[in-house]
Amino acid sequence: MDGAMFIRILAAVLAIGVLPAARAASDSRLTPEQIAAATRVDSVTVPTPGELFAAINKIGKPNWQGQYRKPLDMAFSSRPQIALNLGGLVADGYIAVEAEDSQQVKNIGKDIETLAKGLGVSQNILSRGGSITEFAENNEWSALREELEATQNEVKMAMEEQHDDDLVALVSLGGWIRGAEAVSSWIAKNYTPENAKLLRQPALVAYLRGKIGALSGKVRDDPLVGKVNRELERMESLVSFPRDKSAALGDVKKLNDAASALEKDIAGKKE
Amino acid sequence: MRTAILSLLFGALLAGAAPGATDDEAAARKTLMALAGAFSNDGFKLRDGNWTGAIQPKASLLVQVHLYAGNQYWFSAGASRQAKKLSLSVFDETGALMKSEPYQEEAKGDDGPKAAAGFAPAVSGAYFVRIQETKGDAASFSFSYSYK
Repeated sequence: MDGAMFIRILAAVLAIGVLPAARAASDSRLTPEQIAAATRVDSVTVPTPGELFAAINKIGKPNWQGQYRKPLDMAFSSRPQIALNLGGLVADGYIAVEAEDSQQVKNIGKDIETLAKGLGVSQNILSRGGSITEFAENNEWSALREELEATQNEVKMAMEEQHDDDLVALVSLGGWIRGAEAVSSWIAKNYTPENAKLLRQPALVAYLRGKIGALSGKVRDDPLVGKVNRELERMESLVSFPRDKSAALGDVKKLNDAASALEKDIAGKKE
Repeated sequence: MRTAILSLLFGALLAGAAPGATDDEAAARKTLMALAGAFSNDGFKLRDGNWTGAIQPKASLLVQVHLYAGNQYWFSAGASRQAKKLSLSVFDETGALMKSEPYQEEAKGDDGPKAAAGFAPAVSGAYFVRIQETKGDAASFSFSYSYK
């Protein structure tokens, strides 16, 4: 093979994709295709409310008790509504842990158990309930944060076992909405551009909206789930700002209003 | 590039298709816990959830996480003993490699390899963690993270 022939063969090989493959294998940058194909799983892609609260605790001293809400009316009639409230209650549990309020933690633990019973998954969390009470009585706040997530995961696993995968997504959603309500409320009252940067989570909300899109028709057609989907679209635009920018105070308030209104719908009695 | 995408997709499918824990997956989780448990001593809280599945030699797996500025994170991975060496890297949402504190421990006897990456994001948002098996055979892996 002469030199010219070798160069032509080499050029042809490069033209059909050796160079792009080499670029994709680069160690210092991901391609858009690689990013699009990345795995997204609730267990590590969706942060716990505890992670957001940990970040908040570094920039201020929130009055976590001020973020409590009235006890839920537990008479929900639809399973999607129960699942959304279950997620919200877990977020309430994290708030009570941040407030270091053992009685509130125990109350929420009991409510979680009641809702889990309504979904037929209470057996799986009964043992967790005992641990939550014990940790709360001993003021073991760090252990409680892990126990709350473990409780939520037990519930989700039990739902998957009984083929209620749709409800798993709603538990995650309910937790995010309640967390967003609490944190946007605090940031609105203690606004600085630096504080508001914590609200930036476009990819996370897009992921959660994708979960709604993947729900079965029956669950997606539930009026409350439809409302959550519509409101989430609005909330997504409020938490989608450039990396080097922050949310304006007006947008933080809008986010809080949207999350609060949605939370009321979720917690409200279904007619 | 197509090969790289297929490899990532295949890896993701394999990782997601693990309904019941095999012995290798259980071993990978045990290795992960041995490593991640060490960070708890420094006040890091370990996520209860994990991402567990199959990994191929020289293959890369990517997972999306959401991080908050101000928090510190340790990403940890463990694999079954068929794998010999793992590495973790962190990328931001634009795909740029982030500076992280690496930790690696090769497989030794019955203990599979471990790897970790410490990272403190300056900006809240989506990040991607890449898990690579740089030495060894097809194996099971398990991934999670700790924060404080």
